[in-house]
Amino acid sequence: MSPIAEQAVAPPGRSDLLGWLTSTDHKRIGTLYVITSLGFFLVAGALAVVMRTQLARPNSTLVSPHAFNQLFTLHGTAMIFLVVAPFAVGLANFLIPLQIGAPDMAFPRLNATSYWMFLFGGLTVFLGALTSEGAADSGWTAYAPLSEIKISTGLGQDMWIVGVFLVSVATILTAINFITTTFIYRAPGMTMWRIPIFAWEMVATSLLIFMAFPSLAAALLLLFVDRHLGGHAFDPSYGGNAVLWQHLFWFFGHPEVYVLILPYFGVVSEIIPVFSRKPIFGYTGLVIAAFAIAGLSMGVWAHHMFTTGAVDDPFFSFLSFMIAVPTGVKFFNWIGTMWRGSISLATPMLFCVGFLMNFLLGGVTGVMIASPPIDFHAEDSYFIVAHMHYVLGGGSLFAIFAALFFWWPKMFGVKLDERLGKLCFWLLFVGFNVTFFPMHLLGIEGMPRRVFTYPDVGSFPLLNSLATAGSYVMLAGVVAFAWNVVVSTRKRDPVGPDPWEANSLEWWTSSPPPEHNFDDLPPIRSARPVFDAHHPEIAKGGAG
Amino acid sequence: MMVALRLFISSAVFSSVIATAYWIFSKEPTGTFLLGVMSFGLLFVAGYTIVAEREADLVGDRPEARPVDAAGELVGTYSIRSPLPVWTALAVSCVGLGIVVSPAVAALGVVAMLIAGVLFILQSR
Repeated sequence: MSPIAEQAVAPPGRSDLLGWLTSTDHKRIGTLYVITSLGFFLVAGALAVVMRTQLARPNSTLVSPHAFNQLFTLHGTAMIFLVVAPFAVGLANFLIPLQIGAPDMAFPRLNATSYWMFLFGGLTVFLGALTSEGAADSGWTAYAPLSEIKISTGLGQDMWIVGVFLVSVATILTAINFITTTFIYRAPGMTMWRIPIFAWEMVATSLLIFMAFPSLAAALLLLFVDRHLGGHAFDPSYGGNAVLWQHLFWFFGHPEVYVLILPYFGVVSEIIPVFSRKPIFGYTGLVIAAFAIAGLSMGVWAHHMFTTGAVDDPFFSFLSFMIAVPTGVKFFNWIGTMWRGSISLATPMLFCVGFLMNFLLGGVTGVMIASPPIDFHAEDSYFIVAHMHYVLGGGSLFAIFAALFFWWPKMFGVKLDERLGKLCFWLLFVGFNVTFFPMHLLGIEGMPRRVFTYPDVGSFPLLNSLATAGSYVMLAGVVAFAWNVVVSTRKRDPVGPDPWEANSLEWWTSSPPPEHNFDDLPPIRSARPVFDAHHPEIAKGGAG
Repeated sequence: MMVALRLFISSAVFSSVIATAYWIFSKEPTGTFLLGVMSFGLLFVAGYTIVAEREADLVGDRPEARPVDAAGELVGTYSIRSPLPVWTALAVSCVGLGIVVSPAVAALGVVAMLIAGVLFILQSR
């Protein structure tokens, strides 16, 4: 089988609305995913700033407790389901066919259907805010019995269930597409051990989605049956079990953390070698570590449930500790790649270095709370908020910006401004750490998460004010990025196929690529076909 | 396809080991069931790959293949543009939203889904 395909319909023009609505081109769908997830990011970020403003001073009444519950529910739901994961899906949509030398995804119409289901699902979640009782307010984890009809009586919770269900189905469909495309549609010579690390990470992510997301879909259906069809799956007063929700949810929820981070491991694995002027160190080790993380992550869901007293703590603690090993392997590989490299700190590389520093701290606190004695103290405190934001904000979000700066020229044909890019990085890096580091201390002092206000005691006011000030600095960083997009788009300084002198196949074709992706392909004899083509005197052939 | 085959088999074996160990240590039925379903799914895919795809000859699997080696073989038709995906997604969303908001919207969504199904079949011929 070959990746040659007949193009049956003339490609639509780039600017027509109908063309975007009906396109099944993976690059357009990828771009739509990226833009949509950035739109949701702006909304979710704005909600976070409102929450931080409420928490800036003790006993504040800027928002009501009910409104605050809605704010953190929408913020968490959007960041998890509508920003970090879909951005990775969008990036993979755009990149995977280009990186493996394919003309499109294996199932283009299924791909487009997935995007539109994701968009409508996300909008459904937010439309809940327009109902009489407001949006869902039981948190992004929707714990039963909080999410049951007796407590969450509003339509907003139902719309949350429907919206998240649509998004989860869309994600499963996309995972099918990624796996099939990567296994079947590789260009001649692009063996599995030559595909870029990002493509490998997406295969691991897709496998995780297969295994984890059906559990979420089942849990949502059961919750809906409980709420409207007289079911009592999670209602202890009728023989149900509220802990069952936690099992079903976290069986999805913990692997989801790796769905949110593995693609970004791939992003930094692509960027660091380019700006270190070296091949990636330990290609095979990185791939094996990705699957080790994916496999282990399926067996650790109940470390979120230590304090229920209903799970086997040593089993889940041991496996949670084990995940640190393959993650450490990855860090070793990234540092090994930089070691004695000719490092240039362009904006994408700066964000990768920021990723490494932030994620390291998030990882270390993750190991701490994998220990039940510590977790019993930290559970439901701001320490957990700090930990998860260092993983998903300091980790994934910094990698998102690294990816934006790195692949922006390929997507849109223009480079983002470097000076503004560095300003954006420093604002986000400083702002992020000023926001979230104090939360560790707040948690240790005993401040519970998800509270709309707090008394004027101890260091609570000082640390909260600091965190709020940091969030404003982050907001300035996001504004700097938006301004960069405007300036760079206006300047319209076109770039060639390979502005970074990079390695993988997407840099062989024009920026942006044509509808059919490639006019020609170089010989593929290693994991760096473009580098090999540009430097035949160095290319040695063979795998890796 | 050998890499895919190895990947699915090793994943299935790993998850089966985890499921068994979890049952032995915890005797907890919910998690064991979830891990069991996951292992079964992976075993099914691994089995299917062994039976159906073991001898698949992909040009992407040949280390020395050149672009010209892929020339001439037609693998299908790519539809660059189709209104059916957005239509289908809208129909499915109407069904979901209609169930919680209005049965009429749900009914409309079901009709739209049926139409999309028929059109997909016609377009695929």
